[in-house]
Amino acid sequence: MKQVNFYYCAKLTFDDYVHNHSFALRVIPPETETQRLLSCSLNITPYVSTQQTVDAFGNNVTAGYLKGDHRFLDFEIKGAAQVDHTKHRTDYMPCYLYQSQYTKPDEALKEFYEEIKRECTGTIAERAEYLCAALANTVVYEKGHTDTDTTAAEAFVLKRGVCQDFSHILISLLRMDGIAARYIAGLAFCDGETHSWVEFWTGDHWEGIDPANNCLVNDDYIVISQGRDFRDCAIDRGVMFGSYTKQLQLVRSILS
Amino acid sequence: MGTISLEHSDRLYWLGRYTERFFTTLKALGRVYDSMLEEKKGYQDYLACFGLADTYSDSREFIRSFLFDDQNPNSAAFSLERAYDNGIVLREEISTDSLSFLQMAKDTLKRAEQSSNVRMSLLPLEDILYSFWGCINEHIYDDEIRNIIYIGKTIERLDMYIRLKYPFDAVEKEFVRLCKNLNRVPKGTPYRYSTKYLSELVEILGSESDYEKDGMKATQALCCLFETSEAAV
Amino acid sequence: MVQLKQGQFMQAVGNAAEINELLRRYGVKFGIYKNGVFNEQFFPFDPIPRVITAEDFCSIEKGLVQRVNALNEFLYDIYHEKKIVHDGIVPEDFIYISKGYLAECEGITPKNRIYSHISGIDLVQAKDGEWYILEDNLRIPSGASYPLIARELTRIAAPNAFEENNIVDNRGYAELLKETMENANCGGIRAILTPGRYNAAYFEHSYLAELTGSVLVQNDELFVEDNILYHRTYSGGKTRIGVLYRRISDEYLDPLTFLPQSLIGIPNLMEAYRSGNVGIVNALGNGVADDKGIYYFVPKMIKYYLGEEPILKNAPTYLPFYEDDMKYVMDHLETLVIKDVAEAGGYGVVFGSDLSKEKLEEFRKTIIAEPRRFIAQEVIDFLDLPIVEGNETVMRKADLRAFVLSGEKTKVWASGLTRFSRNPDSFVVNSSQGGGFKDTWVLSR
Repeated sequence: MKQVNFYYCAKLTFDDYVHNHSFALRVIPPETETQRLLSCSLNITPYVSTQQTVDAFGNNVTAGYLKGDHRFLDFEIKGAAQVDHTKHRTDYMPCYLYQSQYTKPDEALKEFYEEIKRECTGTIAERAEYLCAALANTVVYEKGHTDTDTTAAEAFVLKRGVCQDFSHILISLLRMDGIAARYIAGLAFCDGETHSWVEFWTGDHWEGIDPANNCLVNDDYIVISQGRDFRDCAIDRGVMFGSYTKQLQLVRSILS
Repeated sequence: MGTISLEHSDRLYWLGRYTERFFTTLKALGRVYDSMLEEKKGYQDYLACFGLADTYSDSREFIRSFLFDDQNPNSAAFSLERAYDNGIVLREEISTDSLSFLQMAKDTLKRAEQSSNVRMSLLPLEDILYSFWGCINEHIYDDEIRNIIYIGKTIERLDMYIRLKYPFDAVEKEFVRLCKNLNRVPKGTPYRYSTKYLSELVEILGSESDYEKDGMKATQALCCLFETSEAAV
Repeated sequence: MVQLKQGQFMQAVGNAAEINELLRRYGVKFGIYKNGVFNEQFFPFDPIPRVITAEDFCSIEKGLVQRVNALNEFLYDIYHEKKIVHDGIVPEDFIYISKGYLAECEGITPKNRIYSHISGIDLVQAKDGEWYILEDNLRIPSGASYPLIARELTRIAAPNAFEENNIVDNRGYAELLKETMENANCGGIRAILTPGRYNAAYFEHSYLAELTGSVLVQNDELFVEDNILYHRTYSGGKTRIGVLYRRISDEYLDPLTFLPQSLIGIPNLMEAYRSGNVGIVNALGNGVADDKGIYYFVPKMIKYYLGEEPILKNAPTYLPFYEDDMKYVMDHLETLVIKDVAEAGGYGVVFGSDLSKEKLEEFRKTIIAEPRRFIAQEVIDFLDLPIVEGNETVMRKADLRAFVLSGEKTKVWASGLTRFSRNPDSFVVNSSQGGGFKDTWVLSR
């Protein structure tokens, strides 16, 4: 058990005024068996009235609508949580057993799985760790080659990627192996930005595994959202109107 | 229903304008047609009213183009197509019945093109158009919304009358009609007039001599009538 | 007074050219893209009605109510406890590989637990008089407006036919639809969402809006604020929408939940829906229940949820997924019709009788390799219907789309859309393939 203070902020800047801006943020960490929120506050500027819902995957959604002209949207969240990974989450959904948009394997990824699957034996946890290690031996962590649209299959061809890509490939392999798996977006001590990792279903609970660091998840990780893949976990999604050309996003996160 | 979007109110306004442009064009061409019975090049005055050059080999070609050619933006057919385009997205506001008159008008115009006596076969269009307006009047229950289509109609008529150099008393009547329509528009809604351009219109259309001198300026003021004061600065 | 028997009515009601002229005048058209250019095409009307006797309709009606009730139960179950899967009636794979299943809808309960408010169930009548269900359409079934306006006109053109026969008036559809929408209303006005005038069914969207007194809207007139859906009014105000009859597919409805590139959706509509602030007709995620693979299980659903024997039959269907069925399909492939579960519309449909020996062999291998991907059906010998062609009457294939509306009660509209194919050799009765439609008379006795 560990008490962790978290802080996370993002700044969206537009080079011209935008209006009629609808957004949905998935930034408030969920209360689960493994993490209890001691405090949490979300600040959004410019001021906007928001509503909270919980989506199908158990994520807290903060939705808002900024009607008038504005050139930025900032949000920052801070709080404290008690994290305890000796306890386990059990919020299973059958869809986690099936490939999703980002994890659908191509021939190359299927072939890779076929090559390694002979050695992939033992309990579900052992198989998951084996697949995670096989992935770490094949793909290199390197920024700048992939982006948020990159799928597991695309990243696998490049043999390079960041935490999101590692997570997608591992989820794809786990699902090919008949193990239900889900994508987790969150904060971790190892990272200055947001992090992502994977949870696999052991048969009666979820276990976390971090493919980018090839290690198991411990009390240094805070979950912000979960889903089939990145698509269900995007920190912010928005639609806005105006003649802006680019949108700059600055992100910073601190765990202490 | 009591709720209408900006998109639909714009459609209503332009439905009013194009239906009227079609009708006034048709009537004006009727007179040109009539004058051409004696004067073969009688259509040149009409072209001059719109600042258009005479590229037509004869009166027949002119009349064909201005009645039936939907590629000619000054033709009756073109205006009718635009009226229909605006009407088709307003079915639930103006009713299927009103819309059916526009379809009938399109069919009648098409048939007239094949007729040996064009003017004769255009006659039913007048009945159809009056029926259309009667139907609109019946079906749009909300005064504020109905007023929008009438504003479109009257602005277009005034604009056409001025361009076609109609006599002052005809123009003056339409202007009075427009002012009545404009006064019904609540402040802060999109068809509220701009005071600046309305006073300009009052000045020009206030006397026969000003009308004769500055008539074309009035058409420009009509164009700007709904510009909000912020945008005009 | 002549009591009509099935198939006996061969007489045209009114003059085809006259009625078609009137239909044109009232704008009964559908849009179609040919070589990238939008064209409005007229949907031809055939004046010989399809006649359904009171007795026949009574059993069709009971069967359809039963089927749609079971499908609604199924949808609730799939997005909640999934009992039918746990109890082994429907294999899990058939649910989760279906494109129509939306995990985003898990746990959402629409008002009154109704998912399919407007169901279009396609039936055919076989030569022996038996009716078979061909397909369920629980997403956005279209076509009700055509027989509706045609009836209005044939009653003018041929009053005698209506005086002399006991035909149920079908013009109550608008009232039925309004009731159904009101039953799903979460507080606010009724609106019909259209992708725009260049949509194939635009006539229907605008006509139904007119008849039901709903506002016809496009996405740019709407916005969600504080999880409430609003219509933006021309004077700068806003009007709350309580129920949205949307004619846009699920994946385009909310760019913040589904396809981010959708330009015809309403951002955060899903949040308003999840909060119970707006009714969406039909509910999202219904595609899981009208999937070709799920079709096979509908009779089982009826038994499972309602404890009743199915009144209407499915076309005899085999799932190669099951061993016994696989054996049957392998032995009878040349007489069966095979459908690819993943394909929609008329695509992915293969008649075994059209295949050469080599092709049959190849196809057998494909089925063995991917048994879940296909269903196989016996070819039904349709009862042909008479249509007028020039000065003569010819027989053509036709189907019937029945409309079932689920509001406070589940009701079957006493009419329907009868579509026929002009091509004597074709089984495809699609409006975009040059087919036409007929009025469907239900007799009151």
